Amino acid sequence: MEDKMPILSVKNLFVNYGAIQALKGVDLDVYAGEIVAVIGANGAGKSTMMSAIMGDVPRAGGDILLDGKPLPSKSFQVVTAGISLSPEGRKVFAPLTVYENLQMGAFPLKDRSLVAEQLKKVYHLFPRLEERQGQYAGTLSGGEQQMLAIGRALMAMPRVLLLDEPSLGLAPIIISEIFKELTEVNQLLGMTILIVEQNARKALLLSNRAYVLQTGKIIMEGDSKELLYNPEIEEAYLGGKKK
Amino acid sequence: MDMIIQQVINGLSLGSVYALIAVGYSLVYSILLFSNFAHGGFLVIGGYICYFVLKGAGMNIWTASFAALIGAGISAVIVERLAYKPIRERTPVTLYMLIASLGMSIVIENIFVVTVGGRFRALPPVIPTQPVNFFGLATTSAFDLLSLVTAIVFLAGLQLFLSKTKWGLAIRAASYNLRTAGLMGVNVNRLISIVFFVAGLLAGVGGIFLSVRYTLYPQLGMITTKAFVAAVIGGLGSLPGAVVGSLILGLAEMLTAGFISSQFRDLVVFGLLIVTLIVRPTGLFGKSVGEKV
Repeated sequence: MEDKMPILSVKNLFVNYGAIQALKGVDLDVYAGEIVAVIGANGAGKSTMMSAIMGDVPRAGGDILLDGKPLPSKSFQVVTAGISLSPEGRKVFAPLTVYENLQMGAFPLKDRSLVAEQLKKVYHLFPRLEERQGQYAGTLSGGEQQMLAIGRALMAMPRVLLLDEPSLGLAPIIISEIFKELTEVNQLLGMTILIVEQNARKALLLSNRAYVLQTGKIIMEGDSKELLYNPEIEEAYLGGKKK
Repeated sequence: MDMIIQQVINGLSLGSVYALIAVGYSLVYSILLFSNFAHGGFLVIGGYICYFVLKGAGMNIWTASFAALIGAGISAVIVERLAYKPIRERTPVTLYMLIASLGMSIVIENIFVVTVGGRFRALPPVIPTQPVNFFGLATTSAFDLLSLVTAIVFLAGLQLFLSKTKWGLAIRAASYNLRTAGLMGVNVNRLISIVFFVAGLLAGVGGIFLSVRYTLYPQLGMITTKAFVAAVIGGLGSLPGAVVGSLILGLAEMLTAGFISSQFRDLVVFGLLIVTLIVRPTGLFGKSVGEKV
């Protein structure tokens, strides 16, 4: 796992919203095959960081490198370069069918046979999506919509999969199911994953390494299991005492 | 009875031309969420290109129509690049684009007033207008049937494009959420250009038929007010809504003209608009606002 060079590298990233500094020099590395979590409270800048990587909000400074090469700044070029996002709040295309949503995810792919192959893999990971492929995405349950958002991001055959708050608004049992499937995505497809989560415990249990983001700065990083038992983290993000 | 069938055919014919224009309006609205009031300009551009290719260059109607459609489509793309792109890249407030579109409609109209003059021009008689017997049921004009058939062909073509192609799918996705479509790897600027090209092209088709029906003049674009009303009745942003709204409007106009008085046509049109806005503010096929989070 520990390649010399990270597959995705964020260096000294700054993002401003008007006069407000949302990110104040974020550094982060993701190595091939690992799951990296970024945890932090509401408003810490987690989603902003994802949007900045995706080119959805402009950077005020810093570099983002994919395989050592600068990542383009426009969204569509970022996806083509090999990074795709399952956005916060899922954002599935409600009036399109599940199948059409997945086809949208594969938009950058030119080769139709590659798309068909990837669709098979996604259906294998999320059999529920295959069952509901003709259904409108808007009629799916929250958990199914989340699966669709993840599957849709996978359809682009990314090098790195970004997940923004996949647990948002879901029941605990559904969250467990989604996180179990994410482990499979990582293991079966060898997919490198960068996940930002408010649900710190789930994210730390899922990931290999983690970063703690607080008011636009990384304040701590390390092995996820170590962070899980770090008293400071427990106090601030895991609700005090462990069950 | 003959009279009813005849007026219904005329109404559908007029309505189908409105539909070509209204669908373009709605398509742009569904992606960028503003009413493009310069849309009528694309229709006028199409009409004048057709006129001058026929008259000036002496080409046949096929060449002239082709030039008109492509020209109207390209001018729509240019208007978007010049007037709307700089705005949408700076602000999410769509009101500014609406104001810019009002400005562009005046600009286009006056370009024609200045260059070719404000007089009314009749297209050479290249489109048949003689009366035809409609299956022995009624007498109608070849022009009405032709415009109806042409509109159906173009609307079916649009439907095929939207449902069967990759970019069509992207446009449908973008009409739900443009930003998310961008996150899927869609080049949003290219998508918007395609949408404007298609909208302009359809307006160009409408422009040719309207300049045969009413003659050609720089203010012909004003007629899109009707198409706009039709799009609102059908539900702005909804393409089936735009088509249904247009047919309702065309029928209402022609039946009013046939059985009451031509004077009342516009009264009925705007009466329908007001009733729709009172009874169903989002239109017949309008999307309800708000989304599931």
